[in-house]
Amino acid sequence: MAKHKTPLLDQLVSGPWPSFVDDMKQYAAARAKNEKKIEYQIPVDVVDDLMGLLELSYADGTTHWKHGGIVGVFGYGGGVIGRYCDQPETFPGVAHFHTMRVAQPAGKFYKSEYVRKLCDLWEFRGSGLTNMHGSTGDIIFLGTQTPQLEEIFYELTHTMGQDLGGSGSNLRTPSDCIGQARCEFACYDTQDLCHTLTNDYQDELHRPAFPYKFKFKFDGCPNCCVASIARADISFIGTWKDDIRIDQEAVAGYVSGKFKPNAGAHAGRDWGPFDIVKEVIDLCPTECMKYENGKLAINNKECTRCMHCINVMPRALRPGKETGLSILVGAKAPILDGAQMGSLLVPFVEVNKEDGYQAIKDVIEAIWDWWMEEGKNRERLGELMKRQGFQKLLEVTGIKPVPQHVKEPRHNPYIFWKEDEVEGGWERDVTEYRKHHQR
Amino acid sequence: MAFISSGYNPDKPMENRITDIGPKNFEDFYPPVIKNNKAKWLYHEILKPGVLVHVSETGDEVYTVRAGGARLMTVDLIREICDVADKHCSGYFRFTTRNNIEFMVDKKDKVEPLIKDLESRKFPGGSYKFPVGGTGAGITNIVHTQGWIHCHTPATDASGPVKAAMDVLFDDFKDMRLPAHLRVSLACCLNMCGAVHCSDIAILGYHRKPPMVDHAYVDSMCEIPLAIAACPTAAIKPKKIEIDGQQKNSVEVNNSRCMFCGNCYTMCPALPLSDKEGDGIVIMAGGKVSNRISNPKFSKVVVAFLPNEAPRWPSTTAVIKKMVDVYAKDARKYERLGEWAERIGWERFFEKCELEFSHHLIDDFRDPAYYTWRQTTNFKF
Amino acid sequence: MEYEEAKQKLIDGLTKKTKSKSKFYFSDLADILEMKPRDAKKIVNQMVTDGILEFWSSGSTSMYGLKGMGKQAAAEHEA
Repeated sequence: MAKHKTPLLDQLVSGPWPSFVDDMKQYAAARAKNEKKIEYQIPVDVVDDLMGLLELSYADGTTHWKHGGIVGVFGYGGGVIGRYCDQPETFPGVAHFHTMRVAQPAGKFYKSEYVRKLCDLWEFRGSGLTNMHGSTGDIIFLGTQTPQLEEIFYELTHTMGQDLGGSGSNLRTPSDCIGQARCEFACYDTQDLCHTLTNDYQDELHRPAFPYKFKFKFDGCPNCCVASIARADISFIGTWKDDIRIDQEAVAGYVSGKFKPNAGAHAGRDWGPFDIVKEVIDLCPTECMKYENGKLAINNKECTRCMHCINVMPRALRPGKETGLSILVGAKAPILDGAQMGSLLVPFVEVNKEDGYQAIKDVIEAIWDWWMEEGKNRERLGELMKRQGFQKLLEVTGIKPVPQHVKEPRHNPYIFWKEDEVEGGWERDVTEYRKHHQR
Repeated sequence: MAFISSGYNPDKPMENRITDIGPKNFEDFYPPVIKNNKAKWLYHEILKPGVLVHVSETGDEVYTVRAGGARLMTVDLIREICDVADKHCSGYFRFTTRNNIEFMVDKKDKVEPLIKDLESRKFPGGSYKFPVGGTGAGITNIVHTQGWIHCHTPATDASGPVKAAMDVLFDDFKDMRLPAHLRVSLACCLNMCGAVHCSDIAILGYHRKPPMVDHAYVDSMCEIPLAIAACPTAAIKPKKIEIDGQQKNSVEVNNSRCMFCGNCYTMCPALPLSDKEGDGIVIMAGGKVSNRISNPKFSKVVVAFLPNEAPRWPSTTAVIKKMVDVYAKDARKYERLGEWAERIGWERFFEKCELEFSHHLIDDFRDPAYYTWRQTTNFKF
Repeated sequence: MEYEEAKQKLIDGLTKKTKSKSKFYFSDLADILEMKPRDAKKIVNQMVTDGILEFWSSGSTSMYGLKGMGKQAAAEHEA
């Protein structure tokens, strides 16, 4: 018998999509039964109370959570989000209900043996509710009480070799796409770069000294499956410099209908026979492709690597072999001064595992030095870039300006020339001037 | 319930403390077929909705079965994922960026038993635990935030509207009939901890009432300078007030400057803002993150406000369904929703989707607003 | 600057300001210490480890305060 009546939530058990309500109801019942005789370290009815509280929100259209900022694990300024319920008498099980962010492995690959241990720990010391995963990428442990935070952290670090993720004015837990692990488009090893930088920057991830949050995201190609270009302060997007590799026989396979275009992504509807001119050549944004006499030709110099042709004909076309990544900086969601897309800072950098990605780290650290010095409180990198200008960013990173940095040159001629850029400097003798110009 | 120690000594927190070890190494979790073929993949194909094959230059193949899941999961459901993985995939599985679960097998004949197993698992109320789909030119899982289940500033729930929307969009999760893939996202307030601002369709919770000031408690519950500093638009000022003949320190909110972000409430619980009538949903559309054909785009606000209609948000899901269906019918192959809207023109988008245009949809927030007005005679009647 | 000297400087600086508020951004601490952020961070981290400073997090932003100071501790029933 459920502890609280939840008639509104109960309407979410029907329908085909997985019902979180049914999942929680079953789990609440299992906790109450406790067949495994677990000595739950937080109230056994925590899930019942959470559902009761959510039902109340469904009825009154408002949240019943308060924020709390003190709780955490000793020495870390992130990884725990404090939550308190504003109806603790009615729902004592969730009176204190803090979140822990657990750093996810790169690529979000798992093995059951390990995940079961995580589940056992979280059931024993927490609510048993999770998010797989949070928006930034962490495994989210949803709801425990203050005395359990250190215990959970101790067990994570001592028995599972597992650390917490980032929150607050920290480097947030970086996340990546599946990359070369299972994607033929990936231009570099997203998992290795993500994991290496996450570990190299653990201090930045746990001990806040930034003006605000900071995100890294790693996309293996310009398809941007982890949306790095839209939401990471620094996005690392795989690209290549040489020619797209063409297998003409496979091109013919697509043209003849032997292979399904776009890897079969459009199979749910009859779009008619594949038309390479209409679907590839004419949609190429740079018009750098030709299909003549059964041969596909690409003027690679004019290609901007948008991935369309490769996406449509993955058996026939592959990114080049001279691969690396582009670095874009400053993306963020709208709060406060409007959304910003990442701006291209480094058109191409080699991804060099052997030297620990030094060239990439040099760019990161130059940016951090600038932002830590100049950034105002709660100013994202993108906003600092807007305030001090892209030229300043180039200056602090020592990167030479190139036309690739802009969509188009400036619309106004109001160039703030510096004195040392102007022949003869700015110091002039007005008396000399007056010899030739009357007052 | 007796407290059981993990071994941690609260009197000596630094004793034997292990820190800064980061996440588990991904290599420990690679299935053998992935480990053996990393960076050797040649091409992939979607065999049917939710099923992919990747072919390696070594001749190996990996078959992936993708299943949707609510990102809010109990440990029992996760254990069930482990059971499936143990039974079919030697214990290996992964999650996608969009909260799908992927099971990988190395032989084609292992695919159908896996799918059968996944689709046979249902909750008591009848919903699928692991519906297979979410690939190609269809709609995959909705990424979302916490909502009423765990956030202190949400203007809507997250898990509920997502469940309601995915029920309505379920056929497109199981199918690939759309002109291109379509990404739906939800953030439960404008702070967008789930960055929904570049989604084909975004569901965004929005408050419309400034915070109330609980004058009698502001000074005792909050540090006033922090509450003032928290406001991104500088709408909060200190104010002395008199309650029962006593002078108290409090604050005053300049309501016309309030953007309803709730940041002040984060710092000061005496400034609550959530409200049944005030809170609801904004619908945005036309964003994308891929660089394919056209540049990445921001989503645009197409519906300024819809009420919170728990538990199934019918007005919100109806608008979404309508947009998806019109887009499906009208757009060209490979055209994303935003590319389609730009080709036909936003005036036509509103007409075709039967959405009302109002003054709320014209940008008036700071400099970028100017660039969104029409500065040409080229428009459609 | 030696750790002990820096520590005292920061404690004095924060104590002076705690009449009106008890939580500070990292940059406020760096200003009091008159140090570059990276150098200030070393001092601040040590003071956290020594139990003199504690973190406060809004979830999105982090702040620092002298341990146990301020109204939040009481409001959160964690004091």
